[in-house]
Amino acid sequence: MTSEGKTPYIEYRDVQVEYPGHVRGLRGVSLTIARGEFAFFIGKTGAGKSTMLKLLTREARLTAGSVVLNGREIGNLRESEVPGLRREMGIVPQDFALLPRKKVWENVAYAMRAVGHTRKEVRKRVPDILDLVSIAHRADAYPHQLSGGEQQRVAIARALINNPPLLLADEPTGNLDPEHSWEIMEVLKRLNQRGATVLVASHDMMVIHRMTSRIITLDEGMVSSDEGGESAGSD
Amino acid sequence: MLDRISFLFGEAMVALRRNGNMAYAAISTVAISLFLIGGLGYLYLRASAYANTIPGKFEMRVILKQGTDNKGIQDAIATIRAIPGVAAVTWIPKDKAWAKEQKDNPELTKGLDNPYPDAFKVTIKDLGSGDEVAGKIQSLATVDPAEGVKYLKDEQRLIDELLRLLKWLGGAVGGLLFATAGVLIYNAIRLTVVSRRLEIRIMQLVGASRFTIHVPFIIEGIVQGTVGGFVATLMIAGGNHILGRFIGGLSNHSTLPDFPFTPLLAILCLTGAVYGMLCSELAIRTPLKYR
Repeated sequence: MTSEGKTPYIEYRDVQVEYPGHVRGLRGVSLTIARGEFAFFIGKTGAGKSTMLKLLTREARLTAGSVVLNGREIGNLRESEVPGLRREMGIVPQDFALLPRKKVWENVAYAMRAVGHTRKEVRKRVPDILDLVSIAHRADAYPHQLSGGEQQRVAIARALINNPPLLLADEPTGNLDPEHSWEIMEVLKRLNQRGATVLVASHDMMVIHRMTSRIITLDEGMVSSDEGGESAGSD
Repeated sequence: MLDRISFLFGEAMVALRRNGNMAYAAISTVAISLFLIGGLGYLYLRASAYANTIPGKFEMRVILKQGTDNKGIQDAIATIRAIPGVAAVTWIPKDKAWAKEQKDNPELTKGLDNPYPDAFKVTIKDLGSGDEVAGKIQSLATVDPAEGVKYLKDEQRLIDELLRLLKWLGGAVGGLLFATAGVLIYNAIRLTVVSRRLEIRIMQLVGASRFTIHVPFIIEGIVQGTVGGFVATLMIAGGNHILGRFIGGLSNHSTLPDFPFTPLLAILCLTGAVYGMLCSELAIRTPLKYR
């Protein structure tokens, strides 16, 4: 399902991004994403799919156009406003970014403590979050004792600490075999079914086609196709 | 609140542990530089105060040639007064000197003619100019060529050189080391940033505030500076103790005043803390930008 007929939650309006050295990331992208959608950004390396996510996290800056999230223009946010913006979303990096000397639960707890949760809140919420991504049974394991899929689930768990309405995953299956890739997609799908808007940048076509979600194809910084899928998200 | 503080301090302690060697280098350099600047400054003031207590330290005795007439004496007074560095000239007439001697030692002086020449007591403004003043006075025609100028030359020179050394060490070497300490703190913090880049990235991913990300590094800088200040105070206390024993050996009447340990500790720790904070703030300004 496309964003048609739904309240625009995210709007890219004629977005252009140029990286230093006149490298063009995006060239006039316009599209909307509705609340509760599950959408994939796909394309070749350098097509601009990661940039689409980075504009939302403010890791990348606009050269022209605008990006609106939940009615708020985020292209002009000051640096001091970025932490607040990030707390409204969950970010899942491709490389997991787990602390190797901390256990699974400690990795999630550390992130919670960093955003200001008390020890009591951490003790209460961490088991629930781990349960949500089906990694509670490995709570006391260290990252090196986990499979790639399990590590990615910990990264997703960490992204959920702020209970975000938006989940952004940049190549979440990039380092995983097909079986683990599908596990991760199942987790993301489940979170989408619980109401989160999920945006995934990926080139894992096998998994993407199984998902029956919206697929936005980027080619050389422009949207070359936008195919609807079946979002299970609520509106 | 306490929960928050404990997290921030915990993070700072992790950072200090992870870069123990660099932190040690920064702390010792801060300590040495504060010791040289503050400590030697303090010792300079104390040594200078001691120098002022030595009786006759600023005085020299000038012996005139036998038979110098009144005009020659008056001319000599005027000439000596005009020498830079001379604070005062007092004429000691030979008759008065002999009368005093006769009063003090009547048996020894009985039946003798007055052997004393006329003399001056010359007070100088500072110890550093002693040799120059003495040389100029000695060159006067009315001054006795053999034993014309007498003063505590060696003692003055020793004290003067000591003071000069303290001033030079405190200013030049201390200043240089203070700058080096700043660079070391800066580097230590930068290394910590590198070693903790994963934690920083995670904090930025989940939206931790700038305050939360920055404060542990600032605390690290403050701890390094404060510990450096503390060590410097101990070194100064030790230096003061050694100086006290040295002065006690020179004179039974001269002692150092009580060592102001607490105020000095407060000043040096505060200086170190502020310096550490500034250096760490400078070090994290760019690498900790939200990206």
